[in-house]
Amino acid sequence: MAHKTLVIDLDRCLGCFSCEVACKMENGVALGVYFNKVLTIGPTGTFPDVEMYFLPTVCQECADAPCVKVCPTGASYKTEDGIVLINKDICIGCRYCMMACPYGARSFNNDAKVVEKCTLCVHLQAIGEQPACVKNCCGKARLFGDIDDPASDVSKALKAAGSDAVHSLPDVGNHPSVRYILHRKTATWQQSQPENTGRESQNG
Amino acid sequence: MKQLELKRRDFLKATAVTGIGAALGSSIAGLASAQPTKTAETSTIKIVKTNCRSCTADCGVLAHVRDGRVIKLEGNPEFERSRGALCAKGLSGIQALYHPSRNKYPMKRVGARGENKWMRVSWDQALNEIAAKLMEIREKYGAEAVLGSTGGGGNPNFLSCCRFSDVFGSPNWFEPGCAQCYMPRQMVYQMMYGGGPTGNPSLADSNCLELYFYDEIKVKTVVLWATDPSYSGPAQAGRAINELRARGVQTIVIDPRFTPDAAKAEIWLPIRPGTDVALMLAWIRYILDKKLYDADFVMKWTNLPFLVNAKTKMLLRASDLKAGGDANTFVVWDKKTQSAQPLAYPWDDSLEPVLDGAFTVGGVECKTGFRLLKEKTEPFTLAKAAEICWLDADMIEKAIKLYGENTPSSICLGVATDQNANSTQAAMGTATLDMLMGNVEKPGTIMQRYEEGDIGNLRSTMLKKFLSEEQLNKRLGGIEHKGLLRWWAAQPTYILEAMTTGKPYRLRAWIERSGNKLGTVANASAWIEGMKQLELIVQMFVYPTSFSAYADYLLPANEWLETDFMVSSYNRMFARQAVTHLWETMNETWFWARLAKKCAELGHENCKKAFDPKETAPELPYYDTYEEQMDGWSAYFGMTWAEYKAKMPFEFNSMERWRRFYVYKETDPKTGKPKGFGTQSKKCEIYAESMIILGRTGKPWTTFILPPASKDYEPLPHYVEPPEGPNTEGIAAKYPLVMTNGRLPIWHHTTLRNIPYLREIFPVAEIWINPVDASASGVSPGDWVWVESPRGKIRAKARVTQGMARGVVYMERFWNPETVDTETHGWQEMNVNVLSKNSAPFNDVCGTYTLRGYQVRVSKADGPPAGVWLKPEDFKPWLPQPSDPTKLVEL
Repeated sequence: MAHKTLVIDLDRCLGCFSCEVACKMENGVALGVYFNKVLTIGPTGTFPDVEMYFLPTVCQECADAPCVKVCPTGASYKTEDGIVLINKDICIGCRYCMMACPYGARSFNNDAKVVEKCTLCVHLQAIGEQPACVKNCCGKARLFGDIDDPASDVSKALKAAGSDAVHSLPDVGNHPSVRYILHRKTATWQQSQPENTGRESQNG
Repeated sequence: MKQLELKRRDFLKATAVTGIGAALGSSIAGLASAQPTKTAETSTIKIVKTNCRSCTADCGVLAHVRDGRVIKLEGNPEFERSRGALCAKGLSGIQALYHPSRNKYPMKRVGARGENKWMRVSWDQALNEIAAKLMEIREKYGAEAVLGSTGGGGNPNFLSCCRFSDVFGSPNWFEPGCAQCYMPRQMVYQMMYGGGPTGNPSLADSNCLELYFYDEIKVKTVVLWATDPSYSGPAQAGRAINELRARGVQTIVIDPRFTPDAAKAEIWLPIRPGTDVALMLAWIRYILDKKLYDADFVMKWTNLPFLVNAKTKMLLRASDLKAGGDANTFVVWDKKTQSAQPLAYPWDDSLEPVLDGAFTVGGVECKTGFRLLKEKTEPFTLAKAAEICWLDADMIEKAIKLYGENTPSSICLGVATDQNANSTQAAMGTATLDMLMGNVEKPGTIMQRYEEGDIGNLRSTMLKKFLSEEQLNKRLGGIEHKGLLRWWAAQPTYILEAMTTGKPYRLRAWIERSGNKLGTVANASAWIEGMKQLELIVQMFVYPTSFSAYADYLLPANEWLETDFMVSSYNRMFARQAVTHLWETMNETWFWARLAKKCAELGHENCKKAFDPKETAPELPYYDTYEEQMDGWSAYFGMTWAEYKAKMPFEFNSMERWRRFYVYKETDPKTGKPKGFGTQSKKCEIYAESMIILGRTGKPWTTFILPPASKDYEPLPHYVEPPEGPNTEGIAAKYPLVMTNGRLPIWHHTTLRNIPYLREIFPVAEIWINPVDASASGVSPGDWVWVESPRGKIRAKARVTQGMARGVVYMERFWNPETVDTETHGWQEMNVNVLSKNSAPFNDVCGTYTLRGYQVRVSKADGPPAGVWLKPEDFKPWLPQPSDPTKLVEL
């Protein structure tokens, strides 16, 4: 079975927010809502011995997605390609899924009274295109493809990176599928994200 | 709800003189429909290839257009420099285009200045009245009393303001960049290397093209000195450096801020702002001392073996040795004959020139250029540089060794060094280093000459010959700082002085176009008094800025999605093409041309002549219609503009012709000798005698010989301690921290602060500060703080970070479009240029003042300034309000 997802090469991520804005433009995402939000991790250490990388956070397209499990109407579902989507016609806006998601990847649309999230731009996939965040990425850091297919670009990139450099967000039994590549040469992967990573903590 | 939002912008309310429909900002009609007027069933989506102008990098864009409305932008993979990438600024094009606060119609002030009462007028009326006033001022006081200005940030044709000034007869135009941005590097590399428009180290200005050939990877070490490509050009230089790093190229970053490029570099040198030249001199000293330089290249292809008269600092010529000797042949000390001998270009095997020495020639003390360079760098040991620059000596050594041993290498020099009094010296420093290392025209190095032909001139260029000798001599700051001749511009502080004191003469009118002048000029507060003295202030821009509050006329300019221009990339021509046109907005290039036309109609002789190609040749003339202009520009390619747009992208040279290495070794058919470099001696002129000549005469950029500057410019790089630094007595105790600036990836200059999707990422000005300094200032993470310099006081939010050097703080330029209608006009709350230093000492060559590397202090504040927007939802009133295309205004 296919499992389409993102592989994000943090050695290459420039922290430019292009993916974030591309996503919002493509999907008309409301102000203050982010399907794809870039966090700055660090600088960690003490000046001048410091490290820093950027962490784009998106729906992790979990193999065992808790959001799908808790949805009372079946609005949250998984496609044949392993992509987690929301059928807005039957979403009742109860927001159980938002509480179930370990990553805060879902948001509530106040106008439509439904829950929303990254769709990996299924509407673009349908016409043979890549998600907007992948297409416009300035660092060419984002790859989209079938992680179950060893011949796909995403699988090849993970293989080339070597297992020591492949990371994922904490797994609490939900098996996230998004993979992050980060070599020690760039920075040390922070398994528990420091509190001071979101922009809100700086600016809110 | 909608009406409530409208009320938040008093600019709109004030325009009620003619009703809200004619408002400067939003219109009721604009709010009504976010969808095209045609139904979705009948509409098709057209994809138009165009090029971005959210900054100056011109990335390739595919604009999706439905029924005349732009509905989507994405990167164009065909455009080589960006290869399908598009940054947050470019992607914001739609929010900028359909911004509810767009200037839509020409507006004339009807109340008192600053009262914010406006009346809609026709373009004809506005231009007629402005032209009449300019002509009156010219008659009464001379054309020099008219000041023009422009600025970066989406400027579609940079020199169109300069051209108008030339044609009108005023030597006084400026832009806040110029001597503070790019020009010092461009000028110095042209003088020392002569590599033409792309032969300089500014990554962010679409140079260093060799680095984009990353699949060939010939370069081994890249130094990112004072530049942050991940932030200043993510889709282009940032991306290219990324590709190089991925292929094993080593990088060194010299920047007080821990940028993404610093995080990915082999070596990060967090230098104290303003001290770069001291570090460069230490690099040079080390390279000379350890003999890391390319001895053969230095001997044969630089002018360092040439003898210099130690007293006059001028190079010895054959004509100095004997009467009738050639004045363009330089002299070396021949070891074999122990005598001074002319060295015939390019080389004379019968001579054995001494590289390092001091000799007496005909009773005159002479030294080789090499010896003079050595003497200049002598005090700058690693330890000395470490002390001055707040760096670790071992780390400096490690960096020099990487650069000097892992070769070929190249230094990309960014804007930071252009922003203090050492500006030209810094460019001389990096040019010297790359020349010593022989990193010139080798595959992979950044100093290259691409065969661009005349494509850079196919637009509204300078018309230097239209400016008379008398007028050129009146240029404010122009005699003392002759480097400004490179961009044919005046110096901002001299302009301000003339405005406020009437010395040496009073300015009367100012025609301005830029993102927000009050956000970019140093010591912004000082300008307000000066502006009050003016009889006429005209602002042309895309939306109201702080400057608008002080203006008499506001003219609506195009967004980049409404403009046409020719763009080149890697030997191919692309087109920025108007995808739509809204309201009565006008292309700025076209505005300046129309203003010249109006002046011509009022009897201005040069303005008339500027429409005659015979008079303007070799430059292109002004045209009578917009179509003629575009066809006139594209005629170079034997095409109309319509044909050009249909055919692009197309190559303008063969690729083999466009990109060649070692151009200096090619035989010049005219002389039968190697072409050499584009300098007087055809060698790399590390000993820049041309600086002395520039200061004394204005050559090579002047049209008339000018009186000398008060002091000779120096031919070798020299370090000047920042005039207001941590070592300055009476300052440091009160203002202990050094301020620096630098780009963020979502802004360009002062534009885009009103884009909802960008402002929510970075809603307010931040000050980045090391925890040690924060603690000493009583500041905690996220605190609102006061930031003060001897010139003013602003607020910012503290980002306490280990990514700042101790003793140094960072701010990006900021202003608040949401408060333009309040007393602050949006420029006084968080604008770092309220703090920056516009007073002397300047850089001697081009008059650079101090935008980075001055002193501030930080203290806790109670909260944010009144009225500023903080939360993402606050920016809702700025969400786009799409509307249908309109026809261009006929004039």
